[in-house]
This record gives sequence, structure tokens and C-alpha cells, in this order.
Amino acid sequence: MSERREVRAIGQAGWGRTLGAGIVSLIYFFPVYFILMTAFKTRPDALAMPIKFFFSPTLANFYSVFWRADILGGGTTNSGFGLYFFNSLFISGTAVTLALIIGTAAAYAFSRFPLRGNDTYLFIILTTRMLPPIIAIIPIFVLFRVFGLSGSYTGIIALYTAFNLPFSIWMVKSFFDDLDRDIEDAGRMDGSSEWNVFRKICLPQIYGGLAATFVFAVILTWNEFLFALMLTGTETRTVPVAIARTIGGQVGVDWGLMSAIETLFIIPVVVVTFLLQNQLLRGVTFGTIRK
Amino acid sequence: MATSVSSATALAQQDQPARNATGFVGWIMSPERRGPLLVTPAIITLFVVNIFPLLWSFGLSFYEYKANRIAPPVFAGLANYRYVLTDPEIWIRFGNTAMIVVGSVALQLVVGFLLALLFAQEFPLRRYLLMLILSPMMLSLSAVGVFFKLFYDPTLGFISRFISLFTPDTFVILSTPARATIAVVVADAWMWSPFVMLLVLAGLVSVPKYLYEAAEIDRAGRWRRFRTITFPYIRSLLLLALLFRTIETFKIFDIVYLLTEGGPGSSTETVSVYVYRLAFQFFRTSQASALGYIMVFAVVVLTSLYLYAIQTRQSEA
Amino acid sequence: MDEIRLDSLTKRFGELIAVDQANLTVGQGEVMCLLGPSGCGKTTMLRMIAGLEWATSGDIWIGGKRVNNLPARDRNVAMTFQFYALYPSLPVEDNLAYPLFAENLSRAEIAKRVARVSEALDLKSILKRRPHQLSEGEKQRVAVGRSIVRDPTCFLFDEPLSRLDIQLRQTMRTQIKEVLTKLDKPTVIVTHDQIEALTMADRIAVMQLGKVEQIATPHELFAKPANLFVASFIGTPQMNLMPASVIDVGEPEPDASVSARFSLLGESISARVNQGVAALGSGAKVTLGIRPRSFEFANGSGTDSLHASVDLIEPMGAETLAHLIEQGVDMRCVVPSATHISVGDRVSVRCKTGQLHVFDNAGKLVG
Repeated sequence: MSERREVRAIGQAGWGRTLGAGIVSLIYFFPVYFILMTAFKTRPDALAMPIKFFFSPTLANFYSVFWRADILGGGTTNSGFGLYFFNSLFISGTAVTLALIIGTAAAYAFSRFPLRGNDTYLFIILTTRMLPPIIAIIPIFVLFRVFGLSGSYTGIIALYTAFNLPFSIWMVKSFFDDLDRDIEDAGRMDGSSEWNVFRKICLPQIYGGLAATFVFAVILTWNEFLFALMLTGTETRTVPVAIARTIGGQVGVDWGLMSAIETLFIIPVVVVTFLLQNQLLRGVTFGTIRK
Repeated sequence: MATSVSSATALAQQDQPARNATGFVGWIMSPERRGPLLVTPAIITLFVVNIFPLLWSFGLSFYEYKANRIAPPVFAGLANYRYVLTDPEIWIRFGNTAMIVVGSVALQLVVGFLLALLFAQEFPLRRYLLMLILSPMMLSLSAVGVFFKLFYDPTLGFISRFISLFTPDTFVILSTPARATIAVVVADAWMWSPFVMLLVLAGLVSVPKYLYEAAEIDRAGRWRRFRTITFPYIRSLLLLALLFRTIETFKIFDIVYLLTEGGPGSSTETVSVYVYRLAFQFFRTSQASALGYIMVFAVVVLTSLYLYAIQTRQSEA
Repeated sequence: MDEIRLDSLTKRFGELIAVDQANLTVGQGEVMCLLGPSGCGKTTMLRMIAGLEWATSGDIWIGGKRVNNLPARDRNVAMTFQFYALYPSLPVEDNLAYPLFAENLSRAEIAKRVARVSEALDLKSILKRRPHQLSEGEKQRVAVGRSIVRDPTCFLFDEPLSRLDIQLRQTMRTQIKEVLTKLDKPTVIVTHDQIEALTMADRIAVMQLGKVEQIATPHELFAKPANLFVASFIGTPQMNLMPASVIDVGEPEPDASVSARFSLLGESISARVNQGVAALGSGAKVTLGIRPRSFEFANGSGTDSLHASVDLIEPMGAETLAHLIEQGVDMRCVVPSATHISVGDRVSVRCKTGQLHVFDNAGKLVG
């Protein structure tokens, strides 16, 4: 009877595999689990060694994310994280939306009306994305100072829009490339204007892809650190920068607080990744790979 | 909303009569200009925000300039490049970066590949376990840097504690350059191995089932099956993963900066971190630009290889 | 004793019964075709013989050995897949040699066998090429070559010619048949194309919805289809099946035939049929089957003629397909193209002697 199991292995594995994969996954996941767990721990529990797996959970950390106890004089003050979360959302959302609009137009052109230097343009666009951010920091930092954009929303949004353009263009182009051209040609032959072919035939078919692109781009922008560090001011600060600033300055690090911030921060990413599992591969490779 | 030929026809009928616009709008919207027109806003944005500053700093790299002085730039020709390429400090940073890149990418490829093999078949709860493995990629880089600093802490961090079970002295990552490098490599590889896994998994899953059936009929052994059927499918994806991660790891900044700050000494200081220091700590702005451009050159070369690999992959598929 | 034997073989996928109590034997050197429409279970049956699917119940015997629990690699069967399943990373000669590596042969021996097969199938010129550089026909020959390069217990083919164009199909049919005859092993071919089955098989098993409807030689299937399904499936153009009822049946003759009268399309037809019809009794509802080529023109009167009008004429080269219509029933009739008929003509036709098929209420052949 043992021979029967071998052939079944082509394509389907059983609970044995689940056990093995489960062990590996849990080990791999552990650091993340630590962060999630710590968010619910009290201060002494958080740093206890060896690690405390069983503890009485508290939501105090989540509360402190947004409101801090005022050290001098009692009462609580707004820690500003509400603003920071808002900034992250607003800046990422706006930048990505803009990038998608401009990028979709360009992607449509690259896909349907290839220019003579198409490959060169696409190469340059890809390279722009691949460049070390460091090299752009210096002139941009100076430019921002000169134009008074430092610490403003306009500046950082414009910057992030440009950052998301290469990704958007490559992703959306890959979606356009996959469409069936016969339907567009049918529309054209029957007299549709180009604009309508785009708006009512091409676009509806890629709504799902646009959504995926939007979400992936927001996640990338969400987590961006370097440029946010240099170019946002007190009013426009994003969460990653705020996290970095939180650890410096105060006496010791409040790990429970840190974990709570990161946990809140990661929730949208997790939800979205789970929902977009099918688009995941295309997303992380900028549309260059599709199954 | 099903799109089909018949609905396209219906749609077009709403459009009648087709407009033949004249004048400026007609000139703009004519077929030859349509492509360039749609691309222009993207090009402009990229140019203004990315390319123009790059060109500007490229120009600057040929001048002598310090951002914290009021003195205007003085033309210096290739002096900055000459200095940068001959400065032993720079070569140390390249060495550091190389070690981190090689270490991390190799680890990512191996771990990612093994994880992909694990997840290649369908099994109960696979979807959820996969999410667990993907979770490191979802953390923000700053969080990884900050928390791994905790994990490596000799008293409070579980990684250090775990390692000291096997080594005589406590594991302090900043005690030796080797340990600091390993710490960075492990943190980076942990975060990005799932990426490699995704790519390899895509390859493994795309192998047609009937090839394995034919191999079963042909009585091929497991190693043979892997070598002749599985590996060719994932070869190009592994190459893509290699190139992509190399480009990204080459630029590594956040994790290093937060975890070791380049220490001990400057043993884990990567080129990116050094450029940052040159520009914002020492204000040797033009030298920073020159070094930055050498990085750009390396990246451009790697990106061309990456693009070549993509095109090869797409022609294979 | 090299045969393949299936005993009450059943395969269930959850609620779905893919193969239902199939009984089949394939003798040494015999070519058996599994023929039927999509979803009839023929491919599932083939895969069970190969060992790629497990049987739910029943037995599979190959070469006298019960192989139910053996995985495919231990059954030593050779299979040609519908999509060829050529290894894309290997050149043709390595594809051909692939199964031989499991047999611990010397390099020289392997090379010799590969050379022999490439000679037989005309593959010499493409030995160094990769599968993606081959045409459909070349791929098919390589797939067949990979099967015959070894010495298996039996040969299995899954829709071998379905991806080829018509011309190529005819050439390959002959070539494969030649090769199989020489090899003298039990062979099972799965196909949905009856021409393929009728020309290549020694016997055919016609299947529908998991059940084996009839196993017979091509001639027998054509001349004596066991039920309505087989009757309408085999033969192009399709057999005409018309509802009728028995008027009366005469006394059996020495040659086991009877003379019977049927009420068909409002007319009374007399014909000589098999004595099984006698069991039906007067008034019984039957279906009469007449093949298009079994019609011949009669001269108007006569107890065995049907009257109808010509509705549509389709020239087919040497023959003409005429659609006759009477009382709303369409009859297909094939006549030599020289025959003069035109649309609207009123003609009388009759069925040639001995070519009338009578099917009872349950669809089974009785006469």
C-alpha cells in the first residue's frame, strides 16, 4: 500500500506537509509575531527575558499611540500620531492617485501607440526607479529649500508622484498588453472615437489591475523613510519618520508603544496583501512577471 | 460588465457620427501625436522631479562645492571622481557593500528557493501559512531596523540570547565587524527571502502537470525529474530574482543605518550610508555627488542586465 | 499472455461516476480503440490503465499481473500524451533516450536504440532540435518514438492525432498502424474521431457517460450497432433514426429472418428483418434506423417504399447528400452525384435489403 502514496505526490500533498510547512512558517513569522505580541504587553512584560508568551493583554499602548500622558502637569496630550497617520494616508493616497492617472495615460501610449524609442524610454523609466535614492536626495533637498517646498504637502506629494510613476507605468502597461485587441478593433471599426475605446473598452477591463497597482504603490510609499525624513516638516511628518524620532530622545524606548504603532501601521498592508494574493507576484516585480 | 465585440459595436453606435475635429485640438489629437501626447505628462513629471535634479547634481560633481559654505562652486573637472576612486575609504565601503550584497542575496536565493519547494504543492491551510511567510516583506524598513536592534540586544533580544546558547561569550553585534555584517545580512535576508520564494514559486507552479506524468511513465528518478523538468522552468526566474535583489541590496540604507549605524567603526558602512554622511554630515557635497554617480553607473549596468533577463523570460514563456 | 484485462472497473470522482463497471480485454498485438464523445470516460480509463489514476473499484490486469496498486513507473507501460509532453529543455535525441535511462543500459545500447527509432519515424534530421522548434507532426512523431524506443508491456495513446491537420492525420494513421503491427503488443488508443478508430483499430469500445456501450470490430459496429447511441455515433453522415410502430410480423424463415410491416411516417413499409422483432408484437413502438447510403430509389409503388420530397441538396464530390423531408421528418440520403434530382421533387426511396435496423423502446437493437 505504500506505493500508492508516491504517485499522489504529483500536485497534492497532505497534512504531513502542512505540519512541516507550519513549523517553518511559525519560525519565520516569529519576529513579526513578537512585534504584534508586544503591542499588547505592559511595559515590564514587554522586555521580560526569556520571552513571556502568556501575559495579560492590555490596550494601553494603542491608546498611548494617539494620546500621551503629559509628564509635567498630568492630563493627556495628543501625541500627534493621529496627524502622522493622516499624513501618511493623505500623502500616499494623493501621490499614488496622481501617479496612476499620469501613468495610465503613458502606459496606454506605450502599449498601444509604440513610439520609435519605446524600449529606450521604458528602460530609462525603469532605471529611474532603480537608482539609489541617495543620489537624488542631495539636489532635491537643495531644490526644495530654494523653492520653499520643504515641509509642505505639495513638495512631498510631487516627489512621491514621480517615485510611483515608473512602477505604475510598468504595471499598467503589463495589463494593457494582456488585453484582447480584437474588441478594441471592433469598436474602432464601428466608429468609436479613440477616447471612448480607451474609456469604455480598455479601462473597464483593467479596473482590478488598477486597484492592485494602487494598493501596491500605496504600500511602497507608505513605508518610505529617507525622503520623508529629509523633506517633511513637523506638520507633514509621516509615520515611519515619527517612529524613528520616537526612539531617539526619550529615556529608553517604549517598546510596547513602538509595537503598537507598527501593528497599526501594518494592518492595512496585511489586509490588502491577503486580498490581492493573486496579483502579488505581478506587484512585487513591477509588472515584469505574470503567471 | 462583460466586454465583448457586440457591446463594442453597440458602444460605437452611440458615437455616431464620428467627429473629425479640426483646429488645434485636431492637430493635438491626431493619430501620430496621440502617443507622445499621452506620454508627455509622465515624462515631464519624471524629468522635473527626478531627471533634472540628477542632471544638476551630475553637473555639480564636476565642481568643487560644499553645501554649508557660501562660496560658489568652482570648476574642478574630474578631480572629484579621481579623488573618490583613489580614496581607500571609498574602497572599504565598496568592500563592505559587496560583502553584504553577496551574503544577503545568496542567503535569500537559498532560503527563498527552499521555501518555494515547501510551498510548491497544494496542501491544507497553505494559503494562510503563505501569508505568514510573506509578513516580513510587509513591515516598514524602519520597523525592521529598529526591532532587529532589539532582537540583537545582548540582554533583551531573543536572537542574541538564542545564539549565546551555542557560543561561549554573549553575542554583541557591534563587537566585531564580522558579527555586525552577519547581523545586517540576516535581517535583510529574512525580510526579502519571501520575494525570491514568490518568484520561484511562480516558476514551479507553471510547470505543466503532464510533464511530470510523462516522467513518471518514463520512470525518471527524482533528481532527474528536477534537473530536466523543474529547474529549466525556474532558471530564468532565479536569475531575475538575483538581479533584482542585487540592485536593491546594493542600495541598502535604512536597515544598516538603524541597526548598526555603519559600525563598529565603519565596517558595515555601505556606500549609500557613506554618501549620506559625505553629503549631510561632512558637507562634502560634490564628492558625494561623484560617488553617487559611480553608484548610478553600476545600477544602470545591472538594470540593463535585468531588462535583458526579463525579455529572455518573456520570449521563453 | 500479454493482454490487458479490465474487470468491472469503476472510477468515481466524488459524486461523479467517470467510468462505470467497464469490462474489457485487449489481446496481444491487438489494437483497441476507446471511442466516444467528450466526457465519456475514455481518457480516465486510459489513465487508470497507465497508473496515473487509481481505480475506485474493479481490477486492472496487465500481462497476467494485477496492477491496481502499482504506480505508473512500476507497470512498464508506454504512453503518448495528447499534448505530446516532450521535455522542453532537451533536444529530440535526449527526449527519445529519456525512458531508457531507467533501464541501466550502456550508452552505446541507448544510442543504438535511439538511432533505430529515429530511422523508423524519419527523425534523423531533427535529432538536435528542441521541442519548441518542431512542427506539430514532428512533435507527434517524437512522442510516438519515445514510446516505442523501449520494450513496454503495452502501448497507450491519448488522442494521438487530434492536433494534426487532415492531410497529416492520414499519413500518420498509416504510419502508426504499421509500427504497431510490427511491435505486436496490446495497444489502447483513445480518440473522439471515429474515422481514426475505424481505420486504426482491430476492435473498438464505444463509450458514453462512463459506460461501455459496445465492443466490436469496426465492421460489426457499423453493420450491427447495439443501441441507438452507437448507431447514431458511428457513420457519417449520421444514420437516420425515425420513430415507427410495428404493424405485424410474419413467420420466421430458415435463415432466422422474418418479414415484418411497420408504420412509418404515415405509410406502411414491409421489410425483411431479424427474428428478434417477432418478440415485440403488433403495435409496439420502435425506432427504425436507416443509414444514408442504405437508401435506393424505387419506382413509386411497392410495399417497401417511402415517399418524400427533396428539401436540400449538398454536393460532396463523388456523392451527393440529399435531405428528404416527409411529415416534418428530415432524412439524409446519399446518392451518386450522377443522379438527377432537384429541390422540390417528389421521390420514393426504399431501404436496401438487410440494412434496416430496428430498435426497441429502450433503444436496443432487435432486428
